[in-house]
Amino acid sequence: MDPVSTATASPSGLLLAGSVAAIAASLWLLLPKASDTVASRRLGFLLGAVALVGFAATGRSLGSVGEDAVFLTVAGIAVISGLATIVTRSPVYSAIWFAMTLAGVSGVLLVLGAQFLGVATIVVYAGAILVMFLFVLMLAQPSGMAPYDRVSNEPMLAAAAGAVLLGLLTLSIGRLSAAEPPACCRMPSRAQALAAAAAPADGAAAKDDESTTLIAPAMAGGDTGDANEVAHLGAELFGRHLFAVEVAGVLLLVALVGAIAVVSRGEATETDHRREGR
Amino acid sequence: MIPATMLTNALLVGAVLFCLGLVGILTRRNLIVMFLSAELMLQGVSVTLVAWSRYHGDWGGQVLVVFVLTVAACEAAVALVFVLQAFASTGRLDASAWQALREENLPRVIDHELPADDRVVPTWPHLSPAGVVPEGDDSRSLERDHV
Repeated sequence: MDPVSTATASPSGLLLAGSVAAIAASLWLLLPKASDTVASRRLGFLLGAVALVGFAATGRSLGSVGEDAVFLTVAGIAVISGLATIVTRSPVYSAIWFAMTLAGVSGVLLVLGAQFLGVATIVVYAGAILVMFLFVLMLAQPSGMAPYDRVSNEPMLAAAAGAVLLGLLTLSIGRLSAAEPPACCRMPSRAQALAAAAAPADGAAAKDDESTTLIAPAMAGGDTGDANEVAHLGAELFGRHLFAVEVAGVLLLVALVGAIAVVSRGEATETDHRREGR
Repeated sequence: MIPATMLTNALLVGAVLFCLGLVGILTRRNLIVMFLSAELMLQGVSVTLVAWSRYHGDWGGQVLVVFVLTVAACEAAVALVFVLQAFASTGRLDASAWQALREENLPRVIDHELPADDRVVPTWPHLSPAGVVPEGDDSRSLERDHV
């Protein structure tokens, strides 16, 4: 284990504390306030860059920059665009920056080996949800920035809270990587999983014969990183989690009907008038 | 399966995205930007779930992210409808326009000094003139018999 990144060692702890302070100051400087100047925003950007470098050093990635260059790039895109999403004054630019964040997150998912989710993030989020946001923005705020976009609620407290939470999360992540996982939380190895799939008699998950045959190919795939990732995810999704998929479909239908019902608000339609007149 | 260093890096990215979304939803006053911040938090959680899923070689995390996507789509549809209704009744996308719903013992949010609109006037690119403007008769151009 790398002693530098355990975050309990004092130089690394100091680095983390410095990064947290820099992030808090940077967020506070960047968030919309009444006392904004161009210089303070530039200082905020500078502090944000310093904090980013500090965090990259806190993590373990700095030792193998060349190896993880792709990951660092997409993660940097995601994080910087996420920062820009919440500090940009114009909500339209905010939505566009969020699309950039989605691109970065999709890249992170692809690097992690989740191909289907990487593509689904772009297709579902950037293609559907974000466009919906933009439509609503165009409907509701066609004239650009409003006064309430140039101020924020309690920027100093919120920036401090977010930075402290981030520091605590980083500390716990660093401790996690330093320590071996306890026996209770260790996942069974692939061989054990294969054995469990081959013996359907034990375990409540293997009660149903049909579900067992559906689970089996997914479990035989075992490793989540092979070439048939999408096929295995589909087998898992429509095998063990088939009922949840049905529930998700019902949820989509309910959301659709509910959205239309709220919009129409029970207003009388043309056919209603015709029926009353009859 | 991914190595532990990759897991740590991905967890860090997820944590940063989550905290940024948290700060955004706490501070911003535009309802739509608040929802964008919530989606940012969802993205952070998704990255974390996928990282754990790949680390353990278990599909549960990725399946959960699929449902997170589904619920996010539903949530965005319903929430944006409510945002539009709120805009129709107040004419603003401001969360503080609804402060009549606050607790009785909480102070009222008053905008003391709204900053001046510091929008920069956009400078459009200057196009070089391509030839001479033809002399035309305005009265005749309105009643052309053919194009």
